[in-house]
Amino acid sequence: MRRSTLIPYTHIAARSIPRAILLLLVVFALFSALTIAQNDTLHAQTPEPNLPEGSFSESQAQGIDRMIMCPVCPAETIDQAQVEISFQMRQIVRDMLSKGSDRDEILDFFVERYGKDILAAPPKSGANLVAWLMPVGGVIAGLIAVYLILRSMARRGSAPITAQPVTDAGLIPYLQLVDRHLDLNRNAAQLGSKSNPTSSSVYPPGDALGDSPNTEESKHNSEQGEQGR
Amino acid sequence: MAELGTISLWIALALAAYSTVGSVAGKLRQSPALVESSQSAVYAAGLVLLVATFSLVIAFISRDFEIAYVAAHSDLAMANRFTWVAFYAGNEGSLLYIGTVLAIMSSIAVWRSPEKFKDALPYTTAVLMLTLTFFLAVTAIMANPFDKLPFVPLDGEGINPLLTHFGMFFHPPALMAGLIGITIPFAFAMGSLLAGNTGDEWVDAGRVWGLISWVLLAAGLLLGSWWAYTILGWGGFWFWDPVENAAFMPWLGVTAFIHSIMVQKRRGMFRMWNIVLINVAFGLALYGMFMNRGGSVPSVHSFGSSSLGWIFLTFMAVGVIVPFLIFIWRYPLLKSARNLDSMLSREAAFLVNNMLLLAIAFVTLWGTVYPLLSRLTNDEEITVARPFYDQVNGPLMLALVFLMGVGPLIPWRKAGMASVRKTLLPPIIGGLATVGILAALGLHKEYALIGFGLATFVTTGILLEWYRGTRSRHRSSGENYVTAFLNLIMANRPRYGGYIVHLSVVMVTLGIVGTSFFSTQKDIVLSPGESVVVDNYEFVFLGSVETPKGNRTEFTSTVQIFRDGKLLETVRPKRDFYPSFNMAATNAAIRSTPVEDVYIVPSENLPDGSVGFRILINPLIWWMWVAGPVMLVGTVVALWPQRVRAPDPVPSPSRFSSGTRPTVV
Repeated sequence: MRRSTLIPYTHIAARSIPRAILLLLVVFALFSALTIAQNDTLHAQTPEPNLPEGSFSESQAQGIDRMIMCPVCPAETIDQAQVEISFQMRQIVRDMLSKGSDRDEILDFFVERYGKDILAAPPKSGANLVAWLMPVGGVIAGLIAVYLILRSMARRGSAPITAQPVTDAGLIPYLQLVDRHLDLNRNAAQLGSKSNPTSSSVYPPGDALGDSPNTEESKHNSEQGEQGR
Repeated sequence: MAELGTISLWIALALAAYSTVGSVAGKLRQSPALVESSQSAVYAAGLVLLVATFSLVIAFISRDFEIAYVAAHSDLAMANRFTWVAFYAGNEGSLLYIGTVLAIMSSIAVWRSPEKFKDALPYTTAVLMLTLTFFLAVTAIMANPFDKLPFVPLDGEGINPLLTHFGMFFHPPALMAGLIGITIPFAFAMGSLLAGNTGDEWVDAGRVWGLISWVLLAAGLLLGSWWAYTILGWGGFWFWDPVENAAFMPWLGVTAFIHSIMVQKRRGMFRMWNIVLINVAFGLALYGMFMNRGGSVPSVHSFGSSSLGWIFLTFMAVGVIVPFLIFIWRYPLLKSARNLDSMLSREAAFLVNNMLLLAIAFVTLWGTVYPLLSRLTNDEEITVARPFYDQVNGPLMLALVFLMGVGPLIPWRKAGMASVRKTLLPPIIGGLATVGILAALGLHKEYALIGFGLATFVTTGILLEWYRGTRSRHRSSGENYVTAFLNLIMANRPRYGGYIVHLSVVMVTLGIVGTSFFSTQKDIVLSPGESVVVDNYEFVFLGSVETPKGNRTEFTSTVQIFRDGKLLETVRPKRDFYPSFNMAATNAAIRSTPVEDVYIVPSENLPDGSVGFRILINPLIWWMWVAGPVMLVGTVVALWPQRVRAPDPVPSPSRFSSGTRPTVV
């Protein structure tokens, strides 16, 4: 009987949420698409626009350094590596920039000489696009999976598996009080007024109450409980 | 010492193997005596491994160069305190260390296991001891640190200079202990499954040990970053090296686990999911140890190459496949005790959190295997390094920070839209205000704006929770605000410990955002007397002194830092050259403030006395290192045992909140 009071509630919540999750999904897809679309690395700062022909900013050069692996050191970019060849390669980057080459031309120059694995990340073209799309696909698949799991868990919610009869006689008056409060509350909630301190108390006593963290009152209750001991 | 060490290693191996077989046989034949003696074997293995550890330490201190491992990782010039580091400088010692840690953790876990878990404990013991047997067998047969050389060299080869740094005293042991520590919650989950327990008996032990390995991994990762920052000499702290990734992924897995285990602890839900998660985390931990100790991928961590690769790989395959088979076998038993009340509930938020954490782990794994795939399918060599991870994981991490601000404010079971809106409003306003102010001040980097906005969002949410709770205690009991605040934390340690850890994650976020977007870097060669201006600072290079010292030559440069014409500090960054390793260890001079770090490192010393410097101004990175201790405090608070409460004789409303203590992460 107690269960039956909460079913409508569940449905209200369950219906309004898929939209939230779908929204999240869209936001995410956009975010990921942005990730793929950005042509700079996170670190490369946008070049200052008003620079005269042939000059470049140091941070622009450093952005390019961070895209190129050092050919002789394990897993380091020429920006990091402290060996002679990386000093030379950094100098080449700067020389090419001052001659007016752009980022892509410089990267191509190194790819021609050393092969594609000189780049610190796979190129965003051709077969290597897979490297970038897979994570996006994975995240979207994950979100859909979470949504489906939650939905199926929520649907099963109508089966009253855990509703146990109230065994402690001392609880009964309190539960009745709570049920009354719930009715009051539901009306109050619809009016959009303050949140409801005892809303969680409808549930059978097997569940810990006083969990809801965002209502001051419930915390207050549990703390009083503590001091009582 | 070599003999004592080898013998103890083999005895421990025998004990572990006996305990594995004995506990299962004892359980199946219902022989309590056999089960008990198998448990004693766990303790005995721990003690015997301590003897082996002790032998190796003595061997190092006495510089017993007859032992190959000692000769390879120390020399007469080494200070005795570096024995600690030399111990795990190579595979052999690391494996001994891992085995010892596992044996000791297992002993404590078995000894302290809850009474209600007694039925399944023999299986847990067997899983623990099977893992220990594997590690000890590999150590004893293939990588015995006590193997002797056919002759006694006059001096050893010396310790790798990169390891002689303060951070190295803690980073490797913390990480290795964290990785092997995941075995414990995993073994509890497996024991529960094998025994056919349907309930949540394993959850408490699983949570506690999950948290312990989580904090060890987190500390290890942070210390490793700090080490890289101060000694690798390029001014950054994390570069998505394959071995960093291998340690990062299990940490992600455990992070997901310690969150979702709370759902099972509190609500009896996600039973299958928690088993899957701990299996995944264990698999990733094995992968981490494989990458670290198998040494198959080029990385700064490849200290010792070895042929252990395929053995680790086999064990990893077994360690992933068998648990999943067991899981499938027991699948029908793992029904949730309750159903989801609403999609707007903390349970649901935890599931999304898990998904994001696993997504980051997936991206990282994908990046690690992609070069291999590309070689196989396309016959094309491709590198996947930092730019890839930054671009793909960056947004995911921001989403995770966002969720960190939302999740804890949503109640269990279900939340009304109205109340959620009310709770989230102040944090959202705080976040948006931050974005607005920063944008008005001329900050136009989208990611950085989002990062700072989210940091404020999360912090506001947490502080408001603290304020509300404190005020409510203050009002109800008349405690002063400080007492009320402390009592509030002590009353629900898992929850408030979690908040403290979340704050430390915000600090890490600040550090990452600050250095990723606002750092200024300058590489320059200076002759003595020359100076350079970087940002608001002026650096004057006074000169460099060369001091030969035993196994190395130290180049100490003296640099004055000025700001607005005032001398702030005179610093002495160092570069030590080790001829026997043909390797230089740099020691950056760092002037650290909460606003920004000034970082100077000499990258080359030229013959004419001039020095190539790398100078960086790194904003906010200070917060990253402060986060470490904060995280530790938070975890200790969350782990601190709660008093067991006597049932309340008085039927009162408080009865409702006392069934289970509010324990929320």
